[in-house]
This record gives sequence, structure tokens and C-alpha cells, in this order.
Amino acid sequence: MMYARFGGDNKVERPIRLLRRAGGYGKDLIGPAAGAMAATVASTVARLASPLVIRLGIDKGVIDRDLRIITNATLILIAVLVVQYVSQRVSVYSVAWVAERYLRSMRVRVFRHLISLDMGFFGRSKTGVLVARMTSDIESLTEFANQGAVSVVSSVLMVTGVTGAMLLVDVTLAFSVLALMPLLIVMSLVFRRYADRAYQAIREQIGQVLGALQEGISGVRVVQAYTQEGRQAIEFGRVNQRYFEANLSAAKAIASYFPAVDLLASLGIALILFVGGSRVLDGDMSFGSLVAFLLYLGYFFEPIVQLSNVYNLLQAALAALSKLFGILDTRTAVPEVDRPTVLAEPVCGEVNFRGVSFGYDPETSVLEDIDLAIGCGERVAVVGETGGGKSTLAKLAVRFHDPTRGSVSIDGVDLRELSFAALRRHVALVPQEGYLFGGTLRDNLAFARPDISDEEIWSVCATMGIGDWVRGLPERLDTEVRERGSRLSSGERQLVALARALIADPALIVLDEATSNLDPETEARIEAALSVLFEGRTAMVIAHRLQTARRADRVVLVDGGRIVEEGTHDDLIARDGAYARLSEVWKGTGIAS
Amino acid sequence: MTTTLRDPAVRSGLRLLGRTLLQYRRESMFSVASALLWMTVVVLTPYLTKLVIDRAIDGEKREMLLPLVGLVVAAGVLKAVGIGGRRFFAFSLSYRAETDLRNRIFEHLQRLAFSFHDRVPTGELLARSSSDLSQVRLIFAMLPISTANLVMFVVVVIVLVALDPVLGLLSALTVPALLFLANRYARRVLKVSWDVQQRLADLSNVVEEVVAGVRVVKSYGQEDQEVGRLSRAANRIFTRTMDMLRLRSIYVPLFELIPAVATVLVVLVGGRRVVEGSMTLGDFVAFTQYLVALQFPLRITGWFFAELPRAAASAARVTDLLRTAPDIRDLDGATSLPDGPGDVRLTDVSFSYPDGPPVLDGVDLHIPGGSSVALVGSTGSGKTTLAYLLPRFYDPSNGSVRIDGIDITGVLIDDLRSEVAVVFEETFLFSATIGENIAFGNPDATEEQVRLAARLAQAHEFIADLEDGYETVVGERGYSMSGGQRQRIALARAILRDPRILILDDATSSVDAITEGEIRAALEQVMEGRTTIIIAHRTSTLTLADRVILLDDGKVVASGPHEELLASVPRYREVLAESGVFPADEGAP
Repeated sequence: MMYARFGGDNKVERPIRLLRRAGGYGKDLIGPAAGAMAATVASTVARLASPLVIRLGIDKGVIDRDLRIITNATLILIAVLVVQYVSQRVSVYSVAWVAERYLRSMRVRVFRHLISLDMGFFGRSKTGVLVARMTSDIESLTEFANQGAVSVVSSVLMVTGVTGAMLLVDVTLAFSVLALMPLLIVMSLVFRRYADRAYQAIREQIGQVLGALQEGISGVRVVQAYTQEGRQAIEFGRVNQRYFEANLSAAKAIASYFPAVDLLASLGIALILFVGGSRVLDGDMSFGSLVAFLLYLGYFFEPIVQLSNVYNLLQAALAALSKLFGILDTRTAVPEVDRPTVLAEPVCGEVNFRGVSFGYDPETSVLEDIDLAIGCGERVAVVGETGGGKSTLAKLAVRFHDPTRGSVSIDGVDLRELSFAALRRHVALVPQEGYLFGGTLRDNLAFARPDISDEEIWSVCATMGIGDWVRGLPERLDTEVRERGSRLSSGERQLVALARALIADPALIVLDEATSNLDPETEARIEAALSVLFEGRTAMVIAHRLQTARRADRVVLVDGGRIVEEGTHDDLIARDGAYARLSEVWKGTGIAS
Repeated sequence: MTTTLRDPAVRSGLRLLGRTLLQYRRESMFSVASALLWMTVVVLTPYLTKLVIDRAIDGEKREMLLPLVGLVVAAGVLKAVGIGGRRFFAFSLSYRAETDLRNRIFEHLQRLAFSFHDRVPTGELLARSSSDLSQVRLIFAMLPISTANLVMFVVVVIVLVALDPVLGLLSALTVPALLFLANRYARRVLKVSWDVQQRLADLSNVVEEVVAGVRVVKSYGQEDQEVGRLSRAANRIFTRTMDMLRLRSIYVPLFELIPAVATVLVVLVGGRRVVEGSMTLGDFVAFTQYLVALQFPLRITGWFFAELPRAAASAARVTDLLRTAPDIRDLDGATSLPDGPGDVRLTDVSFSYPDGPPVLDGVDLHIPGGSSVALVGSTGSGKTTLAYLLPRFYDPSNGSVRIDGIDITGVLIDDLRSEVAVVFEETFLFSATIGENIAFGNPDATEEQVRLAARLAQAHEFIADLEDGYETVVGERGYSMSGGQRQRIALARAILRDPRILILDDATSSVDAITEGEIRAALEQVMEGRTTIIIAHRTSTLTLADRVILLDDGKVVASGPHEELLASVPRYREVLAESGVFPADEGAP
């Protein structure tokens, strides 16, 4: 069935461990958190105080017929209310401030870790999932923090406080009301177990629904071309129905639990009236205490209902935490060495692959026992069929991955012995179909060296032959390139990517040649730009065109994870082997020129 | 709030809400009824308390205590039933409505024509069917309790006034005060929370961009720079969220303060009255109880009115979407397409996108049944648009398209599209197995048929090499395939449809040179006996066609075999060179 395979794993590990770890990340917020807690305690105490004041007013004022006490009680009550308002306001704001601060640091922490992970991780993960970690998962923490956290803190305080206050007012009556507690706890535990399952199902189903929607909309053209609108709607209806059913079963749990809690509250009132009433009649308790108890009972059950209300939010937050920790626990497959070797200046970019084997997973090897040396200032073209391993070779040269066997070195130093800063400074992988970031042209050009001066940028633009073009743009270097450079043509994007590489000024360039075709004029400009870029550098070019291979000092043909042929273009053509055949194919499809 | 509720868009949203309510009469009635039951008991409970106090405790009649307390328990049971019913039916109503509306939206979206989907981004449609619907659902979920609350206000105010006019009116004042504040809060917070949403979207863009461009970030070792960018975005969220929370910290405690002030008034005024003897002790306690009972419902109702305009706006957006009629529909009296060889004739066809320049301008074209043509032209010359007129993805603004002599506007769309198969430039694979993807247009195809189609598209071999073969799950969350592999699956999908007319829209652009050679042979076999329209850039693909049609500025400028055009039409050579198909300076290899 279609749509059967959306959605991920929503298992939640032990809540206490998750929460303890989450707390560990907020150590620097302990001071403000304590302040927020104090404000919350103050507001709770103020709320608890008012029934006591009312009791005083009733017993000493109303019953004893003392107007002065009634007035005083009112004044005290007003003072209590002012304290309550101010402390509540401070509490809401400060709890939120702590929560938002925490979330902000969590965002940065997760992102910092995410971006430090190896390329293998990014290859395995879908963009959408990673974006969801940084957005919807953190937002469900926000929701809990904003709506739930205050409730949890104040509810717990409230229940404790009310219990204390009731004991203070009348021990016997307090115990008879508290006798309802075990029942309430058992009910809540049963509800929790049931609700856990229901909410888990809901979270899974909502993932399915969103996935199916997304797919139904982005694939709508294919659906219409193959006239499957009806079937798609029916299948979506099924997914949607499962989501509905998951919600309905949660609704049943909720619709049983809350009435039961409320019934207990009514029983509480009955108990207070009966036991308390008898005690008042017996003269063991004052009438004001009875009224105070009735008021407290409201304060007693409301927080429990609230806690159950935020339970869903808590569950979602725990699920999000466990996913976020999943990212934080992912270790990079290419760790940085503790004590890096320093490359001797000047770095010339000599590369050496020695007995290199590599596979993305242990069973299938993509590269097998590669030996390849590229000398200082040499330009080597790597060619071969898709899937033959040439891109993998490029990725190993810039240490996006580490070889499973053998070693890759630059200027005689194993890449694994270098700091990332040094490695990135001297070795750059340049995808010719350059990815441009949203922002200005300057941001994109100066990407590798954000502090570079405008003069330098202009001079690089001039050398790369794009000075006039940039000057012709409406806002020159400040021109916004828009989403992924959609404002620029493919040729312009490539030229910008090459200029960006020139500004980075690496000793070794690993160029992934563009596959798309351009008009001859742009092609020529790019050729010129490439010559400037390669000048005085070592270059390893993953070539897709005959022309590029022809211009290189040496050609390496990779197939089935091995180097099959190696030599100059003319030598290899003369040899009439695999390379000669490949160049015939290139000519035949019109990709060559 | 009142002004927004008068907004015509909002009113159409309210009408949708009303209609949905009518549709789920049963749930609506039950939920409102149980809410009213609940409400009645809530109102009665303080009165019962008063009875217990006045009759039994203050009146010192111990024998009355137990029966009266029994009444309190009975009332508690009724109240619990009311709450249970209210919650269950409200949930059921709201989720049923949401599910139903989402189905309708999805079904509708499936039928809206290409022109609509070209215009409206996926993200926006997703928002309609998720966050807008959640807003709508919230209103349905809150409706029963809010209705009951409104009734309750009225009843409680009457009871209070009856108990004591002055005290009653004093405490009744809390209601308008709370509603006023709720409304004010909603208005102020709406703008800020919208900003927060915007900034969240900005952050999501940063993440998406960095993840998509992670190769560049890593190549130049600029991880720190990107972390800086993200933390600035996170900061912007922080500051605006704090603005929102500041508003909350001002208003939310006020919602509690106001009923509390009312309690103070009751203690002050009521206490004096009891002392003066003009009020019973029970009435006094009942008053305080009512005020406590009112607090929570008042907060809910305030919230309901605060949310209503927003939900109505969401409902309006949903209505808007559901009301958009598909541009391309079956005509009344549309017939099926009679058998034929697939002869295509375009007569004086013009086409332009809304508010755009003409894309096709008076095209006359005849493609005899069973023959093949290649459409060539520079970007924007109208090749794809022309091809998309045949399955009626778009209708021409002028002129007619005939297949086997029949004007296609008079043909049933399902019929037409079953005879015209398109392989799109961008391959879309569903999250399903490879087998299901190939059989997408023919869900009843047998395994052999699927395999045969895959073989013809040169896809069988690589599929068979996969661990799970045809059972391998692909699509957004499944196994990721290369562009060439995806295109071959799409080709197999079209082949399985066995169409009269086959349109290949740059369908082999991502296939590498060697595989292309293999597909070429397969294509020749597939094209046999079918009318085929090829849009391509490679010489090898172009030469597959009997004839090349050169399009320029929306007009057919030349037509004939590839070699002939190459020799005689300079513009043809130019266009080919432009798209890099063919070397401008040297002859064919």
C-alpha cells in the first residue's frame, strides 16, 4: 500500500534520564532559574494565603459580628492580592525567560554539533529530517516550556501547599479529604499508561499524514498525468482515518479521566460538608475553617487537572528531547586529531593516495587499493563512469571521509594528522556548479574569508573576468542572489563559485566539474577562469567532458573502484583501451566539443 | 475583534464553520447538551452548599446533613457525566470535522490543474491542510464548553442578583471586564506571535540552506560562520518571543486577579450584610463559591473569543481553496476517445500564462499517427508547453488540439490521459516500492508486466541488483537512486501505460552516456507504432525522431529531419549550440 512507510521512530527513553540530561545543559541558568522558582513560590503562597484571610474574616468578623475585623481582613486581602499579582507576573516572565534562554542555547548547541558531523552523516540523513530537528522538535520544547513548565512548577507547589494549609486549618478534616489522594493517584497512573500509548500513536500518525500530504502535493502532476486522483484520495483518506482513530482513542481516555477527577472533587466537597459540618456542629471546628476548606478544595483539584492537561505536551517534549540527544550523541566519523601536525610553508598541495580502500558501508567497497600520486602544481583529470568511484576519490582527498585502509596525505602529512583549520585552509573541494547561499554576492564570494576587503574582492573579480558583470549588476557586490542564486544564470553561478575558490586560495583544488551544458561563449569564459584558478596550484579535476581531460597533464580512469588506466590523453587514446572507448561515447552523445 | 469578524473573508470562514456544525448535528447536539448538563450542575452545586450550610449547619439540624450531602454527591455524578460527554463529543466533533475537511482539501488539490500548482507553493498548501485546519479544529473543540459558559454567565448573574442585587451586580461586572481584557490581549499578542512565526521560518531557512550546502561549508571550513548565522536567527526569535511572553505575563495574572477582587468585594460587602443580618451565612458562602466556579470558565471563554477571529480567518483560507474551481474539467457531454493511430493536429494554437507574454503564438502542427517528432528550441521557446497541451495539462488560450480528428476538449480527461503518457523532466517517485512506482498508472498490472516494462526501460538490471529488488522502497524517505535510475523508472511507468501518444520531456537528461546508448535501442522499440514527442538536448536522442520541429518565440520556424535542418537552417545550429548539444564549430563526429 502506498504511504505505508512514512514516519519515524517515536520511542521515548526513560523520562528521568532525559530530563536529568536536559537539565545538565542548563547549568549556567541555575541562578535565574532559582529566581524564577522563588517568584513562583511567592505567588503560590499568596494564593494559598487568601482562604486563610477569608477564614479570619468569617470567624472573627462575620460570626463574631466585628466590622473592624471585616475591614482589616479586606485590607489584608487586597495586600495579598497585590503580592499575588506582582509575583505571578514576575514568575510567568522569569520562567519564560529561563526557558527561552535555554532553548536558544539548545538550538545553537545542536546546530553546532550537527554541522561538525561528517559528510557520511549528511549523505545518510534527509534534509527535511534535519530541518525538523532544528525547528519542530525545538518548538515542541518551546511549547512545553511556555505552557507546561509554569503549570508543572506551580501545580506541584500548589498541591503541596494546599495539603499543608489544610493540615494547618484542621487535621481531622484534612485527613478525610486526603483519603481521596490514593484513588486520584491510581486513576492518574492508569490514565498515564493509556494516554502514553494514545499520544505515541498520534505522533506517529501525524507524521504519516504530513508525509502523505507533502507527497500528494509535490507529486500531483504525475498523479494527474496517470489519472490516479481518485486512488490517491482514497489512500490519503485511509492515512487520515488512522490519524482520526488515534485521536479518538486519546479522546476516550481523556473523556474518562477528567470526569472521574471531577467526581472525586465533588466527593471532596461532600466530605468537607459532612465531616466538616459535623465538626462545626460539634464545636470542634470553626465555620470559617469550613469555608476555607471549600476554597482550598478548588485549588487542590485544579492543578491536578492542569498537570494532566500538560501531560501531552510533556510527552511531545520528551520525544523531541530524545531525538535531539540522538543528534548530539552521533559521533563524527572523521574526528579531529588532538595534537595536529603543522604543514611546512609554503604548502604546495602534493597528494598521495597509498593503498586506499573505502566503502560507505563495510560490505561494499567503492574504492579498492588505490595508489595515486599527484605532484606539486600538477593537473590531473579523473574520469570514469558514474558509480565507478571518481567522486569518492575526490571526497577522500578533502577528508570528507577517511579511508577504511591505506592513507591519503598532502605534502607528505596524513590528512588525519592535520587540524581541520589547516586542512580547509590548504585543500578545497570546489563543486563547479557552485551552491550559492542566500545573501549578497559579497557574502558568497568572501565565504571562505569573511574579513577580506572589497578591494581584494574586486581584484579577484577582475582576474576571473567577472568584474564588468558585477559592476553591471544593480547593487554590485551588494546584490542579493536570492534563494540558491536563482537570480543568476547557471554560467554566472559557476563563475561566482570559481571566484569564491580563488579567494579561498588553497594549495590543492579538487574540482568537481559541472555536468550541465552551457553556451560556447560562457563556456569559454569559464575555461579562462579555470586557467586562472589552476595557476600555481595542484589540481585534481573530476572530469565529465573530453575537453577537460584533454587539457590535463595526466588522465586517470577509474572504474569499479580501481584505477584502470593512467597517462596523458594522447597516450591513452593511442592505447585504444577503456579511455579511448569512453571518449568515443562522449563524442557520440554530443557532450564533447 | 468585532471589526475582524465583520471582514467578508472571515464571514465566509464563519459560514464554513456553521455548515460543518450542521453536518455533524449529532455530535454538536450531544456535546452542547452535555456541556449544558455540566453547567447546570456547576451552577447548582454552590446552591446545594448553601442549603447544607443554612439548613443543616447554621440551622443546627444534624439530621438534614446526610441527605443534603447525598444530594451534593448525586450532583457530582451528574456533573461527571456532563463533563465526560462534553469532552468526548467535542473531541469527536472537532477531529471528525478536521479529518473530513482535510480529505476534501486533498481530494480537491488532486484535481486542481497544473496552472494552480504552478502558482501556489507546496508549503502554502501544506499550511492550509495542517495549521489552518488545527485552528479550525480548536474552535470546534471549544465550542460546546463556550456555549455552555455563555449560558452559565447569564444564569449565574441572575442567581447572584436574586441572592443579593448589589453584590450580584458587583460580581457580574467581572464578566465584561474579563472579556474586555481577553480581547485586548488577543489583539496585541496576535501581531507579535505572527512575527515569532516569521522568525521561526527564517531560522528554518538558514538550517535548510546550510544542510543543502554543507559540502561548500565544509570545503571552506566555515562551520563557525554558519553557527554565527544560526545563533543570530535564534536571537531574533528569542527577543520577539520575550515580547510575546511579556504581554502574557501582564494579562494572564490579571485574569486571576479580577475574580479575586470580586471575592474581596464579597467579603467586604457581604460580611457587613451578614453582620447587619440582611444576608444569610449560606448566601455569603454561596457567593464566594460562585466566584470560584466562574474563574475557569471565564478564562476559557475569553480565550475562545480571542481565538475566534484567527480560526475564522483560517476557515476562510480553507473555503477559498475549496472554492477554487479546477481550470481543466470534463465538459458536459464529454465522450471517450475512439480508437485511432494517435494522429495529432494543432490548429492556430496560442497559449500564454496569466499575465505573461504569449508562449505559443499561432502554432499549426500535424504529427501523423505512429510517427515521432523532436521539439527543439531554446529555453522558453514553448516546447514543454506545447507538449503539455496534448494531455490537457493546460488548455490553449486560442485554437484547437485534435487527436485522431477529435477536439480533445470534448474528450473525458481520464480517457485522454490514459492514451497520452508523459515522462517528466523531474522524476517524481512516491514513497512506495519500485514495483508500485512502475505500476503507478496501472495498479492492477501483473508482476510480469511490470518486469517487462522495466526491461524495456533498461531498468530491470539495476533493480534486480538491489537487495530487495522490486520491493525496494524509494521516494523521499526511502532508498535514494541516481538521477538516471529514477528517470528509467519513470520511463517504465509510462511504458506500462501502453499509450497511443508518448511524450518524453527531457526524460533521459540524467542518464549517463553509456546507459543512454542502451536506452536508445529500447526507445526505438517502444516508439514503434506510437506517436512520440521528444524534447531533448542530445544529438543522439534527437536523431531518434523522424522529424525535428524547431520552435522559436512560440512559433514553428522549421521542420524536417535532423540532418536536413542541420544543413539548411542556421537557427537550428544556433539553438543546438546554445544548449550545448552540438559543437558550433565542427561537423558531426
